[in-house]
Amino acid sequence: MLKRSQWLEAARKLDWEFSYVGEEEVFPGVMSGHPWLSHEHWKQWDEPYRTSYAEYVQTQAKKEASLRAVHEALGTADDLRKLPIAWINALKLHAATLPLAEFAAVIGNLRGARFGRDSAWRTMSTLGALDEMRHTQIPLALMHDLVRHDEQFDWTHRFYHTNNWVAIAGRHLMDELLLSSNAIEFAVATHFVFETGFTNLQFVALSSLAHSVGDRMFEKMVNSIQSDEARHAQIGHPVLTAVLKHDRAYAQYLLDKWFWRSWLLFSVVTGFSMDYLTPVEHRSRSFKEFTEEWVIDQYQRSVDELGLEKPWYWDTFLSSLENYHHMVYASAYTYRASVWFDFVVPSPAERDWLRSKYPRTWDLYDPIWQNVTERWEESDVGNDFAVHGTAIVTFCDLCQLVLCGGSPTYNTAETLVRDGKKYIFCSKPCRWIFEREPERYAAHKDVVKRVLAGEAPANLIAMLTRYFGLSFETWGKDATAGDYPWMKRGKSR
Amino acid sequence: MIPLYGFLEGDTIGLLILADEDDTGAVLIQKLQASARVRVKTKARVRLLHNGLTIDPQTTVAQARIAALDRIDVVEAPSR
Repeated sequence: MLKRSQWLEAARKLDWEFSYVGEEEVFPGVMSGHPWLSHEHWKQWDEPYRTSYAEYVQTQAKKEASLRAVHEALGTADDLRKLPIAWINALKLHAATLPLAEFAAVIGNLRGARFGRDSAWRTMSTLGALDEMRHTQIPLALMHDLVRHDEQFDWTHRFYHTNNWVAIAGRHLMDELLLSSNAIEFAVATHFVFETGFTNLQFVALSSLAHSVGDRMFEKMVNSIQSDEARHAQIGHPVLTAVLKHDRAYAQYLLDKWFWRSWLLFSVVTGFSMDYLTPVEHRSRSFKEFTEEWVIDQYQRSVDELGLEKPWYWDTFLSSLENYHHMVYASAYTYRASVWFDFVVPSPAERDWLRSKYPRTWDLYDPIWQNVTERWEESDVGNDFAVHGTAIVTFCDLCQLVLCGGSPTYNTAETLVRDGKKYIFCSKPCRWIFEREPERYAAHKDVVKRVLAGEAPANLIAMLTRYFGLSFETWGKDATAGDYPWMKRGKSR
Repeated sequence: MIPLYGFLEGDTIGLLILADEDDTGAVLIQKLQASARVRVKTKARVRLLHNGLTIDPQTTVAQARIAALDRIDVVEAPSR
């Protein structure tokens, strides 16, 4: 019987010389990526986990059994009702945006499994694809199941199949990142930037908040997913190292492009959850503080070690860390019927907490929440549309998210005319990404352009029901119907 | 109708403003402030900017050569 050390390399490293086709035909640049290098340059490719398929199956089986036990013990309506109402809406936000994006990641990993340039890379990507299949099925099983108790959880499955504005933005990112990237861009963008750079915000930081609010199911779910991500994220570093050696400028471009695109997504999904949808008594740190620890420190160290630079827009990024999720949350609160989860108004205590955590910027946002509070105080409980916007909001032609760049003092939206068409971007980095690869992005219409082209209705209710896929039962509302104990109802009547 | 990207100082999001060629600067200001009032209280002393230039409140969209999908800003006017 051979020892593991005697057979493992033969299983992981199984490359051969092609006799009746050329290497470039087997690994065409369009699928394998740039720079195209012969296998000679990739044969040292390695990663630290060196897992065999048998080991993978044994480990995953234990994780599945553990999760199943948690689901059976904690998946009841009573367990859901015990959670803070704001937190349940953080769950709905994650339930919708996570599972089918993970399913797209199966395809990205399978591209690596076929077109990755070394057999060890392809082996690891095969396991990565199995991981992502699991990451699709787990949240679908755990969170879509909650539809029995709350119809908005139907968006766990429904979200990416709609033309909801958040889904359009999500698909614009995930389709490029996970479905259409070649093996090299996928490895750098997904494994190095997205997974290594950002997912600890979810898997470590948000998981700790889930523990604090008593949501053992979400905590266990993300911990289980994290143990897989930690392994297959290792694909990114050796791929980036090879790209860097042969085309430094391209390596820097990939990092800078995907850092910004990933940042906007996490800023909305995780920023909302940490600073608004986790009750203040359960918050240990702010989104900004978690990002400083789990993204900035780690990312800076990684790019330093590789001899690369921070992104050219680093100052813009640091400014957006203090602003962007506040800009989007206040905007989305006042357009909450356009999404599938409910929102809360930050209480005076929460506003004080936010001021202490964002001393440089919070005073720009506080008047908005004061205005929202006063409008509720003048309105009847449950009259959501008395505290809701009706004008059409605007969207970035790159990220497809709302034009919420900058701060209330100055919105950083920038316009561009190209081939006679006008485009608008939420920020300089989004414009820069568009201008680097305009042929990739120029034909995509944002929601406003669809309205102007007659492809989507301009009327708000028609937009919500016929285009965004919502109904009165499922569209977002104030989670308390505007009935907050700290409000002075009828004060201005 | 001429669709414009409107940005009100103090607000968190850009809004689509539908203007007529005959709308004056004052009308554009009023339209943007009304669209954003759920978040931002209306202020009296404001001015309209287009391409970085202040537009007189009596000047029309056509006279100011404001075109479809241009950016306009409504910002606080400097105190006298």
